[in-house]
Amino acid sequence: MTVLGTLVSTGLDLELSFNNILQGFGFSPEVAHILWLPLPMLLVLSAALIGVLVTVWLERKISAAAQQRIGPEYAGALGILQPMADGLKLLVKEDIIPAKADSLLFTLGPVLVLVPVILSWLIVPFGQNLLISNIGIGIFLWIALSSIQPIGLLMSGYASNNKYSLLGGLRAAAQSISYEIPLALAVLAVVMMSNSLSTVDIVNQQNGLGFLSWNIWRQPVGFVIFWICALAECERLPFDLPEAEEELVAGYQTEYAGMKFALFYLGSYINLVLSALLVSVLYLGGWGFPIPIEWVARIFGQNIDAPLVQIFTGSLGIVMTILKTYLLVFLAILLRWTTPRVRIDQLLDLGWKFLLPIGLVNLLFTAGLKLAFPIAFGG
Amino acid sequence: MNSPIAGNQMSRFFQQVAEYTRNAISAGKYLIQGLAVTFDHMGRRPITVQYPYEKLIPSERYRGRIHYEFDKCIACEVCVRVCPINLPVVDWVMNKETKKKELRNYSIDFGVCIFCGNCVEYCPTNCLSMTEEYELASFDRHSLNFDNVALGRLPTSVTTDKSVQPLREFSYLPKTIMDPHEMDPTNSRAGKLPEEVMDWMKQESESAPKDLVESINNQDKKTEK
Amino acid sequence: MTISSSTEQICFILLGLTVIVGALGVVLINNIVYSAFLLGGVFMGVAGLYLLLNASFVAAAQVLVYVGAVNVLILFAIMLVNKREELKPIKALQIRKILSAGVCGGLLILLFRVDLTTKWSTPGPAAIGEKATERIGEHLFSDYLLPFELASVLLLMAMIGAIVLARRDVLTSDVVTGDVVNQNLIEKSNEPILIDQSNKQ
Repeated sequence: MTVLGTLVSTGLDLELSFNNILQGFGFSPEVAHILWLPLPMLLVLSAALIGVLVTVWLERKISAAAQQRIGPEYAGALGILQPMADGLKLLVKEDIIPAKADSLLFTLGPVLVLVPVILSWLIVPFGQNLLISNIGIGIFLWIALSSIQPIGLLMSGYASNNKYSLLGGLRAAAQSISYEIPLALAVLAVVMMSNSLSTVDIVNQQNGLGFLSWNIWRQPVGFVIFWICALAECERLPFDLPEAEEELVAGYQTEYAGMKFALFYLGSYINLVLSALLVSVLYLGGWGFPIPIEWVARIFGQNIDAPLVQIFTGSLGIVMTILKTYLLVFLAILLRWTTPRVRIDQLLDLGWKFLLPIGLVNLLFTAGLKLAFPIAFGG
Repeated sequence: MNSPIAGNQMSRFFQQVAEYTRNAISAGKYLIQGLAVTFDHMGRRPITVQYPYEKLIPSERYRGRIHYEFDKCIACEVCVRVCPINLPVVDWVMNKETKKKELRNYSIDFGVCIFCGNCVEYCPTNCLSMTEEYELASFDRHSLNFDNVALGRLPTSVTTDKSVQPLREFSYLPKTIMDPHEMDPTNSRAGKLPEEVMDWMKQESESAPKDLVESINNQDKKTEK
Repeated sequence: MTISSSTEQICFILLGLTVIVGALGVVLINNIVYSAFLLGGVFMGVAGLYLLLNASFVAAAQVLVYVGAVNVLILFAIMLVNKREELKPIKALQIRKILSAGVCGGLLILLFRVDLTTKWSTPGPAAIGEKATERIGEHLFSDYLLPFELASVLLLMAMIGAIVLARRDVLTSDVVTGDVVNQNLIEKSNEPILIDQSNKQ
């Protein structure tokens, strides 16, 4: 496992220095490695959670602004602590398992929804070496893991012993299966251009000429398909049918309260942030600065491998990734207050009769362009 | 392949594809228009009134809780008769010696009242009046049944309450000002105030006869034609 | 024994137990929904075993296809026909159980025999790790092209068959008898699907 820590290719290696320090205390290299292993995971887990807190706050504030309200104001400055207060409230609420519910499946459902989403953060790169695991199957792992989620949804829908829950669970599963296919096709077109499933390679392939070489210019259709499918996978408006309040109370979440409900809530927001991150990785050049950082360094006469420059580029990469991600989150929130909810038949029509053929044509087109212009489309 | 039917079908297929594409593009265009509207709204000031700390000033003829003056009341029961559901309870006895009605109790149940104001309109002695008090929430609906003591309490006023910041409603703001928060309280509202309207009406009535005659003449001419 | 190899051992034992216990549960548990969920667990365990064998692409494909598609489809089917029907008691269930257990036991013994008599070459060929994905692609489009294409044709046939079965309005007359087909499509029937029909008989 390549582990987060080698901030840069040559300059600093956090893992090595951490291991050296531990070995100085008399630990064996293997023990030092095992002690190192959970640290990047914890870091990414907390990053995901903080990302969710920020997203929840942004969602509430931006929603308020779009409706000419003020939004959360009293919990912390500008209501910045409101997500914490929400979380605390859910934490201390009574944990109710309905009498006629299947308590085992009822408990397992939310866990199965949340865990794959968090696992998918394994492959999200924040910089050249700033990710937990640069595995070869990269983006494919995310597609595979996100297909586990419908099982959790079906499980909680079934276990609640409630017709709204069951319908919501079935809808969620149908929706997420339908949109997985165009999503995978859109990803496949990108993968075809970068000749690799690895997220790091996909970003590297986009960063030759700054923002001009981002995939969004070469894959505009794929970008739109991916974004629509990502919204559908996150069950956000206009695709929030599984929890359509007017028809299904709250869908599969109807019977849930307290921390189990919080797991669903957390899962959906982590998924939103993750989708936005992956859009920025696949189509918007990931950690890349709009102008290639090498050019900037050359203008200032700096060596790109100097440790200080490396630290600067590393942090710039993180900032760029987060910036692009939150721009997309902002777009998602704006879409939430702009679009009406589609009907279930319209949803499936859009998925199977529009996105799927367009995705296939896009894939074919990309393959043709790749053969015709190998320089521009990754020969 | 070259048969006209096949060609026809092909052209129809391509027409359908073209129409589908046009529809998809127009849908995308409308989506972007909608997003622009939402985005535009984000630049506007919130219109929130932070209720317990800020309150809107009710308008002049606001029909709030009814105020009642016991001493003015002659127990004529007009209020009961004009009330849509005969709500006010007038409890009086005839004093045989003075041959006059002697009022004992008067009550209105605000849990049932629809605040139509008929009683206030018809009260011969003006002992009933509308206030601008609207915060009548209580834990028990029976405590909304106000007796003459409760009805006689002075109404709370938004403008005199030190803990509340009074805000003007939209129609009471000066022209082009949308936010009541940072507005100079001496600014008068858009349009003419009642006294200005009075002045204007006086001027009109002085010049009215001439105008009136002219307008009538015009109308006559029109009908002749 | 190093820490990494012992970790591998522990993972293998845990995954093996998950697969075996889960598979037994799929067969033996009476509640069909539990069986379906356990089947998903077994698939996940198998994916874990692939991962342990350095075959990450196969593991991910296993999760995507078996857990994400096959198992969800099974669950869908179970939940959409969720009539709480009491099954009719089957005659001589005990004997049937013993017979099937015997067949399964025989198969297991055969497998054990194969396992014990085969000369396993340990260690096997060196793991190629991340290159595996490319290697699979090359094989699929060279020496395994025919089976690959045959499988896709099979899937296409299954898909067309499913569409014909689901959309009965494409067949206006019965192929065999020539009668007009009763087009009681699900969305047109007035009978609610999700109701308790146990006391209807």
